[in-house]
Amino acid sequence: MERRDFLATAVITGGTVATAAVLGPVAWTALSPAWSDRRRGVWADVGTLEEFEIGKVTHAVVEVPRDDWAASLRRRGVFVWRQSEGNVTVFARSCTDLGCPVTWDPGNGWFFCPCHGGIFDRDGEPQRGPPKRPLHRYAHRVEAGRLMIDLDSIPPQAG
Amino acid sequence: MRRSLHRRLGAWAADRFGWRPVREHVLERRVAKSPWYFGDGATMLALLGVLVVTGLGMMLTYSPHPDAAYSSIRYITERQPMGWFVRGLHYWSAGLLMFMTVWHVLRQILIAGYKFPREGTWLVGTAMLVVIVTMAFTGYLLRWDERAIHAVRVALHILGGVPWIGEALVVLVQGDEQPGARLLTRLFAIHVALLPLLLGALVAWHIYLVILHGVTSHGERKKLTHTAEQQKQRYKADAHDEEKGETFYPDTMAQSGAMAGIVLAIAVVLVVVRGPAALMPEANLTETSFPAEEWWWWWFSALVALLPPAVAPTFLVLFPLVVLIGMCLLPLVDRGPERGYRKRPLALGFVVLTVVLLVGLSGLRLRSPWTGWPVGEPPALPPDVMLAPEAETGRLLFARHGCTSCHSVAGAGGRTVAVDLAEMEAPRSRQYLDDYIRRPPPGVAMPAYEGWATEEEIQRLVDYVLVAQMFRTHR
Ligand code: FES
Repeated sequence: MERRDFLATAVITGGTVATAAVLGPVAWTALSPAWSDRRRGVWADVGTLEEFEIGKVTHAVVEVPRDDWAASLRRRGVFVWRQSEGNVTVFARSCTDLGCPVTWDPGNGWFFCPCHGGIFDRDGEPQRGPPKRPLHRYAHRVEAGRLMIDLDSIPPQAG
Repeated sequence: MRRSLHRRLGAWAADRFGWRPVREHVLERRVAKSPWYFGDGATMLALLGVLVVTGLGMMLTYSPHPDAAYSSIRYITERQPMGWFVRGLHYWSAGLLMFMTVWHVLRQILIAGYKFPREGTWLVGTAMLVVIVTMAFTGYLLRWDERAIHAVRVALHILGGVPWIGEALVVLVQGDEQPGARLLTRLFAIHVALLPLLLGALVAWHIYLVILHGVTSHGERKKLTHTAEQQKQRYKADAHDEEKGETFYPDTMAQSGAMAGIVLAIAVVLVVVRGPAALMPEANLTETSFPAEEWWWWWFSALVALLPPAVAPTFLVLFPLVVLIGMCLLPLVDRGPERGYRKRPLALGFVVLTVVLLVGLSGLRLRSPWTGWPVGEPPALPPDVMLAPEAETGRLLFARHGCTSCHSVAGAGGRTVAVDLAEMEAPRSRQYLDDYIRRPPPGVAMPAYEGWATEEEIQRLVDYVLVAQMFRTHR
């Protein structure tokens, strides 16, 4: 091998290895949230079951039980529908179209989305407008009379 | 003696600091003459400069943590001397840059700025477009108000719609399963470090290529060339021609500088007249709010709203991809010698259509403040009904203020998102309607019109609804 060729190969290989040695770890750590840390299950307290009137949809605010969290987002709105004595559904606020926050209108008995006029009925089923999927439901359980939901049980963008 | 010392010092500095080649190859270079509106590139460069400087100014105060971000923006705007001006200038320069970017791209399509030997210039420019658009989006998220949080969530929802990897992408941007501190930190890093560095490199590259290959000139449209080499010769001949060429400094710079100056002046006027973007309440995931996008996205919102629901999710993901791939392929596909738009009806048609669509869609969005789904027509009157002039005015306002986006009246006009006004449980009093329009009860999806509509307009709306609730629905 010619001296020039050898040097050229050395420069290119050395440069590539050095670049990879720096870029690799940086890219790895920057991208890591996408595969680590997933779906651990974070249970939050919504309140006692008694607070929610039977047959009504109520807007409730839950505290996100994480202290590493920013205060401004540590509270989150959810809709609790207490169908009957033992039967509860907890909806996320995000419209299933593009995620605008829906509001509950007790008069019509509908959830309205302000963005493109999506409407859901009290079962969370889409009725009008762009949304095609029902409202997201949180996994829930009742522990000693208190309603708990798993914040990680809906897609990450829907909280 | 003094003079020669002065000269020798000058020559020494030019040599040791290396600015002689810059003067020769950049400032004193010959370029083909071009009209004033070719100064849009220089204008964008000036706007970018303003954005960097004003951005740095705000970074000295801004705090990229969700607990403090909003109040630090408030502080900059309300308490810090001249803070409102700096923030305003940043905001309006960003908006104008978005405007100029579209202008620049469309103009290049019109005059075939992407054709040989400038394909590279165009492709680097395409990359810049992506970065600029991302900057314009991440920028207003840093305000961390309700508009910001909902804007980022809409973007995340669009990301989440990407097949297979959607959810992973969302978590990647959010930095976590839940929206929180890491999200804002990431947006901040992207907006103030990652993308500016990238953009700076791309801008330098773009300008380097402009210096190397020149920009499209009038002469090129008349005398056609068939290869890149011919084209380079042609450009060189034009540039060095007494008539068709000029020296970059000061001839060209005076012209493009004038355009940049005018646009900067517009930015300053906008800041003084309109001030920085209004701050909505602090970002939260609990209050009822009505997300709205920045004005440079109006057309996109209207487009999204008008799409049939069946194709919308695919469209949202595909649209940016198609634009991007189209722009990358353009110089490789369109390789004909013609450069003038008169001989390229396809290019002309495309640009005209794009402008019409952008303006038309933005107009639609503007007329429907609460939803991107406007119904522009006021609800028709039942047969034989004549309204008093006040109520008639109210009927027209009913459409103008977007009420028709949700309410129909006796089955006419609008969509049945909210209650049909002729089918309310019971006729309502003047006072009731007045209060309701001003400030709907909490939890109702209707926005408060107090402050949005004028006093006079609210009265006219009440006049109309008062009568309209008595109409009978004919089905
Ligand atoms: S986001 Fe709810 S309808 Fe589009």
